[in-house]
Amino acid sequence: MLNAERRPSMAERRPSFFSPGPDGSLQSTSLVVPHLAGIEDPLPETTPEQVDVLIAGTGLIESILSASLAWQGSTVLHIDSNNYYGDTWATMTIDQLKNWTNQVNEDSDETRFYKDARLYVSGLVAQGKFKSKNFGIDLSPKILFAQSDLLSVLIKSRVHQYLEFQSLSNFHTFENDNFERLTNSKQEIFTDQTLPLMTKRNLMRFIKFVLEWEKSTDIWKPYAEQPLASFLVDKFKLEKPQVFELIFSIGMCRNLDTKTPEGLARIRRFLTSFDVYGPFPVLYSKYGGPGELSQGFCRSAAVAGATYKLNHKLVSYDPNSQTAVFEDGSRVRVTEKVVASPTQHPQNGGNIPPQKYEVHRLTCVVEKDCSQWFSEGESAAMVVFPPDSLKTGNVEAVQVVILGSGAEVCEPGTCVWYFSTTQAGPRGDLDLDAALEAMINSILRESSDIPNEDELVQINSNGVPLVNSVKLGQSFKELISKERVNFIMKLYYTQYTSTPPFDIVTPDLFDLNKSKEFIPGASDNGILYTSLPSGEVSYDEVITAAKFLYEKIVGSDDDFFDLDFENDEPDLKNTNKTINSYDESAIADDEEDIQMMDSEPVEFAGEMEI
Amino acid sequence: MHGVTRREWTKELLRKKREKERQEILDYRELSDEVLELKNKRVANKDSLLKTTQLLNINPEFNTIWNYRREIIKLLAPSLDQTFWDGELAFTMDKLKVRPKVYWIWNHRVWCLEHYPNSPLKIWLKELAIVGKLLEMDARNFHGWHYRRYIVSTVERLSGNCLNSQEFEYTTAKINQNISNFSAWFQRTNIIEHMLARDQIADKESFIDDEFQYIKNAMFTDAEDQSVWTYLIWFIKESALKEHMTSEKYSSMLKELTEIIELINDDDISFSGKDNIWCLKTLLVIEFIQKDILKEDIKSKSREYLDKLIIIDPLRKNRYLYQIRAL
Repeated sequence: MLNAERRPSMAERRPSFFSPGPDGSLQSTSLVVPHLAGIEDPLPETTPEQVDVLIAGTGLIESILSASLAWQGSTVLHIDSNNYYGDTWATMTIDQLKNWTNQVNEDSDETRFYKDARLYVSGLVAQGKFKSKNFGIDLSPKILFAQSDLLSVLIKSRVHQYLEFQSLSNFHTFENDNFERLTNSKQEIFTDQTLPLMTKRNLMRFIKFVLEWEKSTDIWKPYAEQPLASFLVDKFKLEKPQVFELIFSIGMCRNLDTKTPEGLARIRRFLTSFDVYGPFPVLYSKYGGPGELSQGFCRSAAVAGATYKLNHKLVSYDPNSQTAVFEDGSRVRVTEKVVASPTQHPQNGGNIPPQKYEVHRLTCVVEKDCSQWFSEGESAAMVVFPPDSLKTGNVEAVQVVILGSGAEVCEPGTCVWYFSTTQAGPRGDLDLDAALEAMINSILRESSDIPNEDELVQINSNGVPLVNSVKLGQSFKELISKERVNFIMKLYYTQYTSTPPFDIVTPDLFDLNKSKEFIPGASDNGILYTSLPSGEVSYDEVITAAKFLYEKIVGSDDDFFDLDFENDEPDLKNTNKTINSYDESAIADDEEDIQMMDSEPVEFAGEMEI
Repeated sequence: MHGVTRREWTKELLRKKREKERQEILDYRELSDEVLELKNKRVANKDSLLKTTQLLNINPEFNTIWNYRREIIKLLAPSLDQTFWDGELAFTMDKLKVRPKVYWIWNHRVWCLEHYPNSPLKIWLKELAIVGKLLEMDARNFHGWHYRRYIVSTVERLSGNCLNSQEFEYTTAKINQNISNFSAWFQRTNIIEHMLARDQIADKESFIDDEFQYIKNAMFTDAEDQSVWTYLIWFIKESALKEHMTSEKYSSMLKELTEIIELINDDDISFSGKDNIWCLKTLLVIEFIQKDILKEDIKSKSREYLDKLIIIDPLRKNRYLYQIRAL
């Protein structure tokens, strides 16, 4: 196999294509994850002579683009100069990270995409106590809102069937040296015994308002140009802990400058995601984040006919002859467009978009399971350090995504902490270090023996015991632990991107290829460049970015993932005629079809609202 | 190849679907005629029973057929064993899963439980668990709540155990999940009355205090929610609880309530410039109790509340005018 060090792929984790049936004969299992070149299948010896679109780089945006184009009917050649899928969105083992770090530090390119990669790996890995490939570390960790465009595309494209998702419901704001658990649902506000009654009222009123905030212009318009914080204080009489929770944990804003409308949109994003699939707003994919998703979309593209080739480097593209040349001497004629991730640009490229913005990241694996931070049955949590909550007096928030071993990204008894901030310059790393220190102190306090448990459990007026986690934190603030936190690995790096830290996603964030004029001598004239992951912790940008590119290539995004898999559905064996047996997916969504259906209203008795 | 949409496909599929449904309608009408014919002839055998199953599978809202089905079962009863009754319960459950708000299915299920051989406590306890699951899926299905009350009373009768405190906790849990669950609040009023009637509340004073705290909490959490106000009005005016309070305590509770409601209403005015309808309505009730029941000598604001209500709640204008006349 090409890459012996890799982790089992999504196809290999599934039961095999054929499994013995009850009578011993081979039967196909219900779902098959299609194989992918360079993982389960060998890489193709040759590539097509002519394609509609050539895509270089298998990051998430490129992979979504590739699948959307392949299903739309374009022939796609999708390559990557690396020997793995995912590019800057990849999920890596510890050994892969070692290679990656070396590459970053050897890179002498003028345009830098990463710098200052510093990797520490514990001797326990070399000694074999921990195995490199039991870890799946994301270069750009992301969380998925239950109500989001990416999730809709995952479902429409059926790529979600290749993946496994888990819920994330625990969000903590770090405040006064303590983690405050988020109070965000009506139930939690109602049953919370620590919130003053008037605060409950104000908080509830805000939550009701924000769900349909755009309609109530009279309430927010006067604050449209002001920061969200002053709106929350002036209009809703909310106090600092609630304001910070709303802006930083629920809104996941980066700093206090976020304007009212943008902030409200971000808060609503969280709240409308709540209860879509259950009592949690956010999901993440098991076994790895964007790296797994990228691979999923590549598999889908391959099913639709896209050709995949790894270790394949684009050397140049000539827009006049429409010919792309690769490192191995092969070439391809591209009838429509060449798309490339900036990291996969041909040498002497003159059109690479400037990567003006910095994201500072710190990823570590600790030898603690951190289960006290997770909700029951979950293995993930998010912690936000709002501005000025760290000893560095941070201006930008530090966001931390915590994934436990239940997420299948690390070994049992360990946990991955992903820190990130959009604070530029050396301050960024100082803020990350301060956040790490606060996390370590907190996990040590909380995992120490509890001297007097009675004091920590209060009984509320209805006799329901209530564990006060705030008190739990406070009572150990002074406690100095004998313990230490052991790191299995620790990786600092700074990533550059052309996407500014945004509050809400707009297509113009991804308009990177404005120049129409060719630069004489450049090897990348006519190439459409994509964007690297931004500092945003959610996947919000990817569909807008992919659609933007799709529209540039196809001319319109009307049929972006306009898929109809109906015919692939195996016929239901059920021959009983019941009203509910008709295929719901046959209900079409365009006007003409709706008109056709309107003429026969009686037939839809089975649709009655329950 | 660009711009090729799958519109044609969809049209073709729709045509097929309509064709399929047209056939289904024909089949349904044919079957329905056949079963009604059997019913007119009072045919009661395994075949006619099977025909009703087929018809109810398609249309579980056809009450005539449920009636006919029971007639058949009654006539066949001597030859039916426990397996049949289990099957019948499973059949209604299947139907309820699809149509949880059809009276006739609930009705048939109750009938089955009552006619089950010996109607043992076991099946009723199982039923209680089932209705719990059902209310988990839809906590505000009033059929489910009504059914729960019925099951609870049967379980109590058969077991001789009272389930009041357990059921009270159940309403707390359901209200905590969603304070707008009026069914749960209503259930709570029923249970409290039961508990009082059977003298099952040992410390009435602290029970009343706790309940009052609980309501206050709910009022502040959502002052727009009708369920909470309706419950509050029941609590201070209708329930037998007030008979277990000294008039001093009753009076001071009302005073405290007035202050809280005025606070909430003032807060609403400062936010939206409007009075809160439920605050004013409740203040009216409180004043009525203070004057007419407790005979307290207080300055009446009822006229002021009603004048405001006429403006902010014009749909009930005449009711408020009537109340003004009655002052």
